[in-house]
Amino acid sequence: MSDAGPKLPDRAKRILGRLVDASARERILISFASLALALVVGAILLLASGAFATCGSPFLVFGGIEFCYNPIEVYRVMLNGAIGSPYSIGLTLRETTLLILAGVAVAVTFQAGIFNIGTQGQFVVGGLAGAALVQYTADILPANAVGGILLFVLGLAAAGVAGALYGALPGVLLAYYDANEVITTIMLNFIATAVAFTTVRSFLREGAAVQTALVPDYAVPPSIVFPEASSFSVLIFIPTLLIAFGAHYMLKNSPLGYNIRLSGEQPAAAKYSGVDAKRVIVRTFTLSGLIGGLTGGVFVFMVLGYWQPSVPQVGFDGITVSVLAANNPLGVIPAAALFGVIKSGAIALDLQLGVPRQLAGVLRGIIILFVAMPEFMRMIGRKFGLGETSATPAQERVTEENDD
Amino acid sequence: MIENTRLTRRRIGLLVIAAVAVLGVVASPYRTDIRNLFTVGFFNTALTLAVPITLAGVGGLYSEKSGVINIGIEGLLIAAAFTSVLVTGTTVSTVGADNAVWLGLLAAVVVSTLGALLFGVICIRYKADQIIAGLAIWFVFLGLAPFFSRVYWGQINSPTVATFDQIAIPVLSEIPWLGTLLFTNYPTTYLMLIIVPVAWYVLKFTSFGMWVRASGEHPEALDTAGISVNRVRYASIMISGALSGIGGAAMTLSTVGQFIGQGQTIVNGRGFIGIVAYLMGNYNPIGTFGAAALFAGLDALQVRLQQIGFDIAPELFGAIPYMAVIVVLVFFGYTRIPDRAGENYESGDD
Amino acid sequence: MSHSVELTDIRKTFPGVVANDDVSLSVGDGDIHVILGENGAGKSTLMNVLYGLYQPDSGTIRINGEEKRFDSPQDAIDEGIGMIHQHFKLVGPMTVTENIVLGSEPTDSFGIGVDMKTARREVREISERYGFDIDPDAVVEDVSVGVRQRVEILKALYRGADILILDEPTAVLTPDEIESLFEVFEELIDQGKTIIFITHKLDEAMTVADDITVLREGRNVTTLPVEEATNNHLAELMVGDEVLLELNREPHPKGDVLLTVDDLQVANDDTTLVEGVDLTVREGETLGIAGVDGNGQSELSDAIAGLLDADGGSVTFDGEDVTDWDRKRLNDAGLAYIPPDRQEQGLVMNFDHGENVILGEQHTFPIGRRMRDDELAEKIIEEYDVRTSGTGAPAKSLSGGNQQKLLVGRELERDPKLVIASNPTRGLDVGSIEFIHEQLLSVRRDDRAVLLISSKLDELQQLSDRIAVMYEGEIIDTVDPETVTERELGLLMAGQELTDVSPNSDRGEGTSQTAGIDGESE
Repeated sequence: MSDAGPKLPDRAKRILGRLVDASARERILISFASLALALVVGAILLLASGAFATCGSPFLVFGGIEFCYNPIEVYRVMLNGAIGSPYSIGLTLRETTLLILAGVAVAVTFQAGIFNIGTQGQFVVGGLAGAALVQYTADILPANAVGGILLFVLGLAAAGVAGALYGALPGVLLAYYDANEVITTIMLNFIATAVAFTTVRSFLREGAAVQTALVPDYAVPPSIVFPEASSFSVLIFIPTLLIAFGAHYMLKNSPLGYNIRLSGEQPAAAKYSGVDAKRVIVRTFTLSGLIGGLTGGVFVFMVLGYWQPSVPQVGFDGITVSVLAANNPLGVIPAAALFGVIKSGAIALDLQLGVPRQLAGVLRGIIILFVAMPEFMRMIGRKFGLGETSATPAQERVTEENDD
Repeated sequence: MIENTRLTRRRIGLLVIAAVAVLGVVASPYRTDIRNLFTVGFFNTALTLAVPITLAGVGGLYSEKSGVINIGIEGLLIAAAFTSVLVTGTTVSTVGADNAVWLGLLAAVVVSTLGALLFGVICIRYKADQIIAGLAIWFVFLGLAPFFSRVYWGQINSPTVATFDQIAIPVLSEIPWLGTLLFTNYPTTYLMLIIVPVAWYVLKFTSFGMWVRASGEHPEALDTAGISVNRVRYASIMISGALSGIGGAAMTLSTVGQFIGQGQTIVNGRGFIGIVAYLMGNYNPIGTFGAAALFAGLDALQVRLQQIGFDIAPELFGAIPYMAVIVVLVFFGYTRIPDRAGENYESGDD
Repeated sequence: MSHSVELTDIRKTFPGVVANDDVSLSVGDGDIHVILGENGAGKSTLMNVLYGLYQPDSGTIRINGEEKRFDSPQDAIDEGIGMIHQHFKLVGPMTVTENIVLGSEPTDSFGIGVDMKTARREVREISERYGFDIDPDAVVEDVSVGVRQRVEILKALYRGADILILDEPTAVLTPDEIESLFEVFEELIDQGKTIIFITHKLDEAMTVADDITVLREGRNVTTLPVEEATNNHLAELMVGDEVLLELNREPHPKGDVLLTVDDLQVANDDTTLVEGVDLTVREGETLGIAGVDGNGQSELSDAIAGLLDADGGSVTFDGEDVTDWDRKRLNDAGLAYIPPDRQEQGLVMNFDHGENVILGEQHTFPIGRRMRDDELAEKIIEEYDVRTSGTGAPAKSLSGGNQQKLLVGRELERDPKLVIASNPTRGLDVGSIEFIHEQLLSVRRDDRAVLLISSKLDELQQLSDRIAVMYEGEIIDTVDPETVTERELGLLMAGQELTDVSPNSDRGEGTSQTAGIDGESE
């Protein structure tokens, strides 16, 4: 113990009082408010940046300045592009599938109080492993439905195992060498990209472009319900939902899950109760890596059909989704759906209005920014007279009872 | 003794790094070429490449010493790199290239400092978790820069703009070897060479430096001595912003004069490497510079290897600094971080 | 007589709590004014108001007759007030000089750097003026607690303080250090300073005070000159009409040896924390461990409970060598542990009751079973009188006393053979303390055993069959609680052996260490 000793009682009381605020209901409110505020800030950005863009027909000319982007029109096109047709719904659900997986991968580690930024790297390595397996075994296996299923299962297994191993690495470095996980995982993301590029260029290249062989048709999960062009399969989506439910079940119904939450809440209590912190760290990271790797596998089989070094930042999106969901695997599902709308809407936006699809990346950051400051949200809430809804009845009781 | 274990670990780390370097040199089949590798030009390039890492590191060091872990430096570098190109490009026609680059640098510092202020407000005023807030700042600028690139230039990478010229300092630059290494440089490099010792002096020998150190170790001690902890923290965070501003501008204006918005942008993790540099440098600005120079050297090496036609997997070579960071963290990760870094401070009464 | 500090009708409330309820007091110039009161009586709040850390809701502060308003400590410092906090406000890695001048540094002739030469000289000067023997260049984290306290006092003096507030300064000191602190007081008074001294210890108040103000539940009960005060009267004023129950610790036959600790060593890098400790605990026995905090007690309990690896020696529990067992295995074997910090270690603040009651047992749950036990939680709430809104409420919603009851209930409901209780009543209200004492006595009554680590001497004397005293990692003596005096315990805790064998020691379990090892009794 440090000589700082226990904190002043009244100070501790106030801190506790603040913690009590963060009830589940309030967390949901904060998430929705963050999303809404991010969209508002995004609208202002759009309006302002529209003044700098060049376009044929500005929607507004004010004081000689031409404003190219109409925020309301932009959001309308985004929404329409995301859920306006079966095809676009398919695209949105495709994004959602990846986001759920990446979000759950991040959430598991964040629950344990580990800041794992490495899902992106595990996604890259997993996808690469899945694609490599396809390239090396597609010829050996029969070219029919059975071979397809086999190829699919083996490919995803390879992706999962590769992701798990790549995820375990920063876990070991953190548990046994005290190497800060934020830094190691970010570095491993860079390394993964470099390794993937080199591997594809030097060993897996098919044809002129730096990319792997196509996944044969019979191994691509069939699109049912949704148009084939949307590259979305309900057969993948349902297991993805099961993974989110499974992660939630695991956290609530297994000693590992209990220990993950315990380590995230209070490391000292974990140690007191006989938890081997190092083992929990490595296991959590491995589990997260497994799911991160699977995300890469799904990307190869369902979305792209092959692997190439330049891939979307699904892992980073996973952080936004997880944070938005308060790191709850079940909460990840709606959070991923909402962010999926933004992502697939942004693509439509680019094609229809010429507004850069990078808008999704901007919103990704702003959402985390708002979720990161619950105090700010509470202040906003009080301003609009929502104070009563955010304070739980328990709060008053605590401050009164805690005065011994 | 804890000190000793730490020291031993440090020594082992240095030994490993030295061994890898020696092995690399000895075992290489290109031994003669390697002798041509380490020219004064190589070291000069390394020095230029060290500027963003060093300044990000020294800035991050001030912030963390004051009690606020600033993971967002990477984002600040991105903001600065983008702004410097944007402002230089748009002002060059009115003020001329020589002035435009300086305006670009100034604008980069302003934008990056404002970004840091935003981070400070989130952490201090709104009591956000510092790590999550830092991530948010990184993500915001990682998203904004390519978005604005496309809005403004219609493409994710900017066109090239005017750049700084290397300035040879009269007389001093005539000194053989050293003259080329130290006295023929970009203005941003000179800035770094001045900032590092100044930052060291300020932290160690001035009142403000003492307050910064106290603020991260035992904020109550500072508070009860009548100095506002939050003011010291805001100041330190804004220092990290200003320094990152110079670092980000150095990355564009002292090299190719272009902002690259693809993937991780032109900054490509240098902010994070800066964090590792100050950990390795044990929160000493001069040590931070040393560590940054090591990473920059590895970066320069891979550039140089490609130049002399050492064409095996350039991307893999490009990853060497990142691997080095992990090796360094394993051996140097056990630094004593300021006791209360990462914790928000609340004064007795609000 | 002139008054240097006058507080009138100071009122300070926190959400749901009135910390100071219209408190008034005046401190004579050049006096030592003691503010006496139990934990939570509002002493520290009042002083934080005087020091500008808190702003009062109402009431006035006068310094030397002039009304003042303090918005920050700086305002108070400017008026010559210095405060030495209970928890030192010192920066560990900085030197004594740096700490003393922090915030008021002399600058060099360029006005940029700190003039360390001048600073060092000034520190040496005041240090000598008050007879302190302090090395200005020592790093604070390397010096003893007593020295750190002097650095704190010097810090206030350096800023020109005439009125010094000391908040429970003796809590962390050994009796020897306390005595020399009181000598420092005399020196300060001789130099014309005024001292406000906060404590909850009667004898300290009686020793040094000119005037004594007693606070109770945020109110000023009375102020009286020391000549008019007696220990008994003060005690009555402090606690009100609350009756302290004398616990009924009936003699109880001892059974077989349950725990044997033999030559246990625990080290941390190169510092030895536990140095060759020998102990035995028998069934139906409570062994108390006394000592000033930080003398190895927590490492000893952690090592026995399986949270720390021993660096030497052995631990035998219930006939088996458990030296290398981890916490999990020891818990299964029937060794329960009530840890010193309930909010960090013992309970998970954001977990509800159902989740908290399985802490420590979670390893035994099969995969697929819900990680909670609401039945057990209900039972504990019922039997241990935990006042809560239900099993689904998070632990943080409970008051300290109820948290501790939940924790104690959980550990005792596992039917342990031995309970290690580390400061089990720290910071609790009287009702909860009594309840927990009763529970620990019932463990002993059931022929099970208790190892009680406490810094409260009365608690140790009420509950223990024998008291072992720890000093700098060693057990320097084992004494009989029936016969040992507080003074003797105090001496032992300060590391002084009781050389003259007191007449009481011939009662079998005696004062010698060997008697303790054998655990011989009745």
